[in-house]
Amino acid sequence: MNDLVALVVQQSLNGVYLGCLYVMVALGLTLIYGVLNQINFAHADFVTVGAFAAFFTVTRFATKALGLPDAGAYLLSLIVALGVGALLGLAVNAAVFAPLRRGDELRPLIATIGVSVLLENFQLWLFGPIPYQFDSPFSRETIRVGRIFFSAQSVLVVTVSALAISALYLFMRFTFLGKALRAVAQDRETAGLMGINPNLLIGLTIVIASALAGMAGALLGPVLVLTPFAGASVIVKAFAIVIIGGFGNMQGTILAGILVGIIEAFTVQYLGSGLIDLVVFVLLLAMLVVRPTGLIAERKEENV
Amino acid sequence: MIRAQGLSKSFGGVRAVQEISISVPEKSIFALIGPNGAGKSTLLNLLSGIYQPDSGDLSFDNHKLIGVPAYARVRLGIARTFQKIRLFKQLTLLENVRAGFHIHQDAPFWEYLLHGSTGRFQRESLELLDFVGLAARANERAGALPYGQQRMLEIARALATRPRLFMLDEPAAGLNTAEMEFLLERLEQIRDRGVTVLVVEHNMDLVMNVAQRVFVMDHGVALFEGAPREVQANPRVIEAYLGGEFAA
Amino acid sequence: MIAIAVVAALPWLITTSYWRGILVVCAMNVLLALSLNLVLGYTGQLNLGQSAFFGIGAYVSTILVKTYGWNFWLASLAAVGAAGLLGLALAAFAVRLRGHYLAIASLGFAVITYQVLVNWEKVTEGVRGIYGIVPPVRGTMALFYLVAGIAVVVYVLMDNVVRSPVGDTLRSIREDEVSAASLGVNGAIWKAFAFGSGAAIAGLAGCFYPGFVGTLVPDAFNIVESFTMMAMVIVGGMGTMIGPVIGAVVLTFLPELLRGFGESRLMIYGLALTLVVLFMPGGMVQAWLAVKAKFS
Repeated sequence: MNDLVALVVQQSLNGVYLGCLYVMVALGLTLIYGVLNQINFAHADFVTVGAFAAFFTVTRFATKALGLPDAGAYLLSLIVALGVGALLGLAVNAAVFAPLRRGDELRPLIATIGVSVLLENFQLWLFGPIPYQFDSPFSRETIRVGRIFFSAQSVLVVTVSALAISALYLFMRFTFLGKALRAVAQDRETAGLMGINPNLLIGLTIVIASALAGMAGALLGPVLVLTPFAGASVIVKAFAIVIIGGFGNMQGTILAGILVGIIEAFTVQYLGSGLIDLVVFVLLLAMLVVRPTGLIAERKEENV
Repeated sequence: MIRAQGLSKSFGGVRAVQEISISVPEKSIFALIGPNGAGKSTLLNLLSGIYQPDSGDLSFDNHKLIGVPAYARVRLGIARTFQKIRLFKQLTLLENVRAGFHIHQDAPFWEYLLHGSTGRFQRESLELLDFVGLAARANERAGALPYGQQRMLEIARALATRPRLFMLDEPAAGLNTAEMEFLLERLEQIRDRGVTVLVVEHNMDLVMNVAQRVFVMDHGVALFEGAPREVQANPRVIEAYLGGEFAA
Repeated sequence: MIAIAVVAALPWLITTSYWRGILVVCAMNVLLALSLNLVLGYTGQLNLGQSAFFGIGAYVSTILVKTYGWNFWLASLAAVGAAGLLGLALAAFAVRLRGHYLAIASLGFAVITYQVLVNWEKVTEGVRGIYGIVPPVRGTMALFYLVAGIAVVVYVLMDNVVRSPVGDTLRSIREDEVSAASLGVNGAIWKAFAFGSGAAIAGLAGCFYPGFVGTLVPDAFNIVESFTMMAMVIVGGMGTMIGPVIGAVVLTFLPELLRGFGESRLMIYGLALTLVVLFMPGGMVQAWLAVKAKFS
């Protein structure tokens, strides 16, 4: 395997690894948009909360109190982060989305911006501004195939996210609840008339989306600079992915997420890490100009 | 006055309007009717500029309208109302109508910057509100009005542009009998003031009692054109409406 | 008139240099809130990119003065022009995009501008920052009078504009762009006007910021700043003239008064914004009007 090919493959795989992380975050956003036509600005902050929850589970709780080995502690933290995310989602739904169900579509957006600022500063108060070092036990082990290196962590991430995404996909496609969710996404009123309780389902969606975000935080912990404002750097890319993939479009989001991950991997390699956000957002703006509805477009005519 | 020749418009495979040629005479009330889905609203949107046609010609008093965006047609003298009422809900009735005078506000910008409101068109706005019977509620929020009055407010606001051609998209929808009477009287008065009125309607009462000329559409194509009585008697028109809605 | 007298008297009443500094910050925030209000409150465009224009104003003016030796006032003029032009660029997006999409595009604008400020180190010194920046007038009090004076002028002019038919036009775009077009309103031109002038005013505020602080780092212009500005406009009362002023004053002073509670005081922004949007979308102006109605 010559040098260039090895490099390309390595970076592509790194990109897939990153991409899976971003997909986990973006999927939640796109799910919420699909069902509720709302953007949860605080979504990325759920990720941060999840990361912190996982961090403290690992460092304080699991190893000290329960005496679990490192690996076990980390895996436990994933579950904890999942739960914390779910709870947060429940709270935000009850406080923001449910009361603002009717009317102006921009009010909930602004409300979630408020929640985002609130969460960030709340965490700032709790944890302070200095970054935390979140080491996953899996990061230390590397696997080697030929000239390509993976860390065990990346394998874990890809596996977990693949599992989560498939589970979600199967759920949406084949279970009653999943189909009901899609019905609500397409036409809330009619779904309601058919005996489905849309509010319950919307709440469920938000909980699932937020749980995903929380768990993504646990997985992202080792990669992020873990401060209360970590969400800000993630949300940028999450939005880019959701728009590039198409709001409310699961396949598109997955595709776009992997794509952004790969772009980031190559950008870091050739242009340095400082320019990632720039590249991604220039791409995003270009996308908005050319094809606002995303890669896999859905046509929506304005009815006059 | 407004003349369309071979106008066509498709939306992703659905041919909403096919080769329609229509000529609206001046200073009359012209009705555009047809069953649901006939393409009437699409045609009106083509005339007002919200859609550009895929093919065909469109002109207004020798001005070519193809490529001219909706907002620019207003200066030429074309105004319209919408099927789904689109008012400025947070503004008062007076402010709504005043906003309609937009194209007549011709003071230079620095005058607004330095002196603020020039107070123009206050009186005319109130007159228009009076014309539709809403002068008493001038300072109420438009969103608070009952449906029928919202309709009339929309008409007053559109009249502020001082149009020569006034197009209404299903103005009678949702009105009770008294409100409809009122609407019909207003339309006749508008015509008597020299404005050409084009009405897209479902409601036969309005059409038959008030229109001079009727144009019937179905499935995007022209079916028949003539005086109201002729239209009523035409077998093809009757057939098109059988099984559909005859009177809204 | 009374308000101006009160404001003018303030620096005499408040004597600690710390609180005088807060007054200057407050005046700048008033300018920023006003700048956003034109776009958000009156034209109804969800603009999250205002921090970009604030930053452009700060950096362009500072670099012209420090690196090229321009006169402060000329540099500020140029900076305001640059910010305004950038605002026009964002307006181009606003013409094509609505609601959520515009929100994200404007956010993207802010992020890209921030990244440029951070990464274009040759020109901006990036995160290292530019030091030793001198304000155009000496002394905090003088600076306050300058900035507050400009804020008053901007307020009066903007008030004139929104009372005029221009205000009607902007609000018609906010309420329903399609029917506004049916009344002859060219949405694109007016959005350009709103974004451009809003950006220019934010840029103007930016010109005074570096001199006040003394150093210039990009961090003051990240997207959190956009959210803060938005909070001020909405908490105060979107779509009114006095609302953003109230919002700016309240959200400048409240965290200071809560300093005893430590870092948690910044939560006030998030909390205020969320609560206002949920329960009182018209902001403090709405609350005030409701109270007035109850007692009359």
